[in-house]
Amino acid sequence: MQKAKILLVDDDPDLVRALRLRLRANNYEVATASDGYAAIASAQKEHPALIILDLGLPVGDGFVVLDRLQNIDSLAGVPVIVLSARDPQANEERALRSGASAFFQKPADNDELMNAIRLNIGLGTEQKAAWPS
Amino acid sequence: MDKTTQVLLIEDNPGDADLVRLRLIEGKSPVNVNCVNRLADGLASLAQQTPSVILLDLNLPDSHGAETFRRVMEQAPNVPVVVLSGQDDEALAMKAVHLGVQDYLLKGDISSKHLERAIRYAVERQGLLRALEITQKQQMEFKNQFLSHVSHELRTPLTCIHQYVTLLLDGLAGAMAPEQSDHLKTVLKSVNQLHAMIRDLLEATRAESGKMRIEPRCVAIGELVQQAVAMLRPTAEEKKVGLEIGVDQRLPLVLADPDRVLEVLINLVDNAIKFTPAEGSIIVRANLVETDPGHVYISVSDTGRGINPEAKALIFDRLYQDADAVDNNRSGLGLGLFICRAIVRLHEGRIWVASEPGQGSTFTFTLPVYSLAKLLAPIVAHKGHLRPAFVLVRVDLAPLSNPPRGNWKETWQQGLEILRRCVYLDKDLVLPPMVASGAAESFFVVASTDLLRSGVMTTRIREQLERVAEVKGKSKITITTLPVELPPAKLEETLEQQIQTVADCVTEMILASRERKQLHAGKVARETKSKKSTNSKEN
Repeated sequence: MQKAKILLVDDDPDLVRALRLRLRANNYEVATASDGYAAIASAQKEHPALIILDLGLPVGDGFVVLDRLQNIDSLAGVPVIVLSARDPQANEERALRSGASAFFQKPADNDELMNAIRLNIGLGTEQKAAWPS
Repeated sequence: MDKTTQVLLIEDNPGDADLVRLRLIEGKSPVNVNCVNRLADGLASLAQQTPSVILLDLNLPDSHGAETFRRVMEQAPNVPVVVLSGQDDEALAMKAVHLGVQDYLLKGDISSKHLERAIRYAVERQGLLRALEITQKQQMEFKNQFLSHVSHELRTPLTCIHQYVTLLLDGLAGAMAPEQSDHLKTVLKSVNQLHAMIRDLLEATRAESGKMRIEPRCVAIGELVQQAVAMLRPTAEEKKVGLEIGVDQRLPLVLADPDRVLEVLINLVDNAIKFTPAEGSIIVRANLVETDPGHVYISVSDTGRGINPEAKALIFDRLYQDADAVDNNRSGLGLGLFICRAIVRLHEGRIWVASEPGQGSTFTFTLPVYSLAKLLAPIVAHKGHLRPAFVLVRVDLAPLSNPPRGNWKETWQQGLEILRRCVYLDKDLVLPPMVASGAAESFFVVASTDLLRSGVMTTRIREQLERVAEVKGKSKITITTLPVELPPAKLEETLEQQIQTVADCVTEMILASRERKQLHAGKVARETKSKKSTNSKEN
């Protein structure tokens, strides 16, 4: 079976390295981007099954990325998990309203995060059948 | 003073009033005196306009003593008050000064010069006080912003440490020797502690700046106690501390935010474990107290070393740290109880501690009982009589996908908001949401109408709900309506008793309808059922 591809967007290279290792160990293929602009370009090129997105990014922060993704037909259905150090009380609702499927505050519990990834990738493929867009 | 001083004189003795007025007019600076002789008139005047100063007699026809200035200051907190006092109650006037009154004058001893100066100083002092308050508020805001920024910045490196430590521990970067793994577990423990502290820091900041929110639901407190105890049992066992539950089986439901109350319980039990030596024991109780039937009392008692009397007064304050606890490396920021108190107060409950050094401690907090009768009273009765008929409407919103797509909470909250707008405020009531048994949410509406006419309302509800894409696109909407069948009213029954009967009936119906839904849930559903049905009798 082909591995599902995840696009990991974060501007902290150390964190990216560690998370990439963990995602690969969980049998995912990983692409990365470290700013908002690169995130959109990479998403269009790589067609990931899911995107993990930080909010505080250079060149277009996470909300800008969420907004762009919603407006690109081929990417609008890709589930996005926001992983940010920001306060959920001020950002979670906004992120979810902007199209994210889940919000995790850093540092996130690994098991919970992996669970959310698994569920959302499953949902993404189901959705294509149930939600023709 | 270049402007005319506006004086509000609240004085019921006409002789005293005239004298004060005369002395004011005699003075050098221009004054405008508005004189009233009752507190109610004074408060009414304050609601209309703000004077420069209030001259206040404490003993008025409609208010006496300390109560008088308390109410004046409540109405006009920023206006300086000078108390006019008789010779015989100087002690009271002095007490008033301690409570925030700017000055007091003895009635027999008022000269123009004296009065003018008292007023001028009172106005100046009040102004300084106000400026100080504003500065303090700005500082507080700055501090809170700073703390919230810091806690965010701290998370970034913490996340990195956490990720690499777990990477190593999970063997994702090669196998580890048992000893290395042990060391890393110690690191992880510290990382988790640091994480908890950052969380507390933000929570406390929120509590202090009034940004903490609660979402009350109808909650069986016994279930929350069990949850908290289950979560902390491993910690207690590791320390060889007994952990028992003593929850009264016939407790009414409470109106509370389940997540927040769980936080309070975890905090109190965790503290109890920290301060109880091995072989000691902890018991978490929940019960009713005869003298206060409107609240459920929840307490956590331990057999630890207790708290000394000086500490008892400070223990709920921000940053309070027990000196011995620090020595013994039982770390924390001293914010836990401060956060607990903020949460309990948001529920309009109280929290306190009873303790004797060496005898252990008992922390108790109260939560308001969920009283359906109290909620129903304004809508089921009209002009002293029970309305003729009632129906119970149940609106189910079930997410179309599992797990729900997007922000399900926002979806059902929006649904609830729409529901609230679909009912008549004076005749119908949308009940506070119950704790959901799964992702699906059920809302109940008690409506003062009969089954025949309720169709209009349910049609309106469905139309409004379906109009909103957010709700329609993400949930399956089911609306069911049942008449509330009341037993024949007895002649001697008071309105209050009749309302109680309606409440009891509605409670029974809700529990029965929840049960039907939960039938497939097996054992868990039966447990909840037996607990809830005893509750309904109590309600």
